[in-house]
Amino acid sequence: MGRGPYEKSGLLRDTSIPPHKTIKEEFSIPVYTEKQKDGKTVRDIIANDFTIDVELWYLPYGRKDDSGNAQKWFTTSKAMRIEEGGK
Amino acid sequence: MSINKKIFSLAMITLLFDSSLTLANENLPKDNGHAQELIGITEEKKAQTIAELAARYDSAPCMDCHMEVYDAWEKSLHARSIFGPDKVGRTAATLKTTIENGLKEWAFSGVKKPEDVGVKHLMICAKCHLPQLQEAEDSVAQEIVKNVYAFVDDPDNLEAKKALQSLNIGCMVCHNRNAIVHKWTDGTPQKDAVYGTKDDVHMDDKHPFLKQSKIMKESIQCGQCHGLGPNFELENPTQCATLYGSHLFAYIPEGGQATCQECHMEKSKLGHNIQSYRSPEMAKMALDVDVEAKAFQWRDVSTMTPAAQVTVALTNKAGHAIPDG
Repeated sequence: MGRGPYEKSGLLRDTSIPPHKTIKEEFSIPVYTEKQKDGKTVRDIIANDFTIDVELWYLPYGRKDDSGNAQKWFTTSKAMRIEEGGK
Repeated sequence: MSINKKIFSLAMITLLFDSSLTLANENLPKDNGHAQELIGITEEKKAQTIAELAARYDSAPCMDCHMEVYDAWEKSLHARSIFGPDKVGRTAATLKTTIENGLKEWAFSGVKKPEDVGVKHLMICAKCHLPQLQEAEDSVAQEIVKNVYAFVDDPDNLEAKKALQSLNIGCMVCHNRNAIVHKWTDGTPQKDAVYGTKDDVHMDDKHPFLKQSKIMKESIQCGQCHGLGPNFELENPTQCATLYGSHLFAYIPEGGQATCQECHMEKSKLGHNIQSYRSPEMAKMALDVDVEAKAFQWRDVSTMTPAAQVTVALTNKAGHAIPDG
């Protein structure tokens, strides 16, 4: 599936999910700000408790602000906790 | 040439013509009742206006007896295949983009301005969005283009919107025009028949016959438009839908068995309101989504890295790749 049928007539790259297949997407989310202090890199945690929202969108024209075309297919929220001092 | 010779020549031509008709008729399937159509004698005159083409494929008469089916169909994008989604008109907008960014820019398309667009140019879209455009003169293509520009330039132009919305993939596109794929084997569709799953009578003056289509419940019926990929039969091939290709060459070989109709019409319970990615029902049927997340502090000697790791697993349960069209 390519953008603009008038622009090309063959698959150049296919990012679709094949039938019967499971694909996994990994997201690493840093929860810190970073600064330099006394010549060292210091990281401060943004929050020990936070929520991760996962949304799956179908974007036929590549944009979320596309009323009537862009579709939110799935959404879930996960409550996260990082114990103070570690873990 | 003498008068006698002229008469003889004319007689010979007539004789040959008659004999070729006889031979052609003898080779036709005996039970299709439309021999004349196959040899082109009663070929319908091409439509010259949008109104004429719309009238030929008008689904309104079907409504009297098939109200439920009609109501369902009316909610589908098939009911507005040239205009697009009701409030958006995205298909009309894409038609304009195709003319501006495609046809006008291609050196050999013959299109320098919108007024140059004819049926063969629009067929790169109409092949699926309005296949019956093949039965129309260039004047219809021109009228479509005029209304496309009028609507896209002024979305409040209700007249243009109405004209574009009168063209669609209605009952008789699937249940007549596209009901037979192998025309050398099964003949061309009879104009006076509605194609479904059995032979019978049909209580309608214009279409008094019900005929069995061998493909009405098969994926190939849908594959005629939701196709294999580049349309190499066109002078300038286009690529939009590749669903049927994915269905044939990926889904089926991996053990898939469902047809397009089974998922999009039966299991979804949407019937003739055939939907795809805009439908929550279809989205649920298409994908399983599994989300796992973990938060942690990563220690690298003295550097602390608070982070979260999220894994999203998407399983495609559809009979084709996702996304596609």
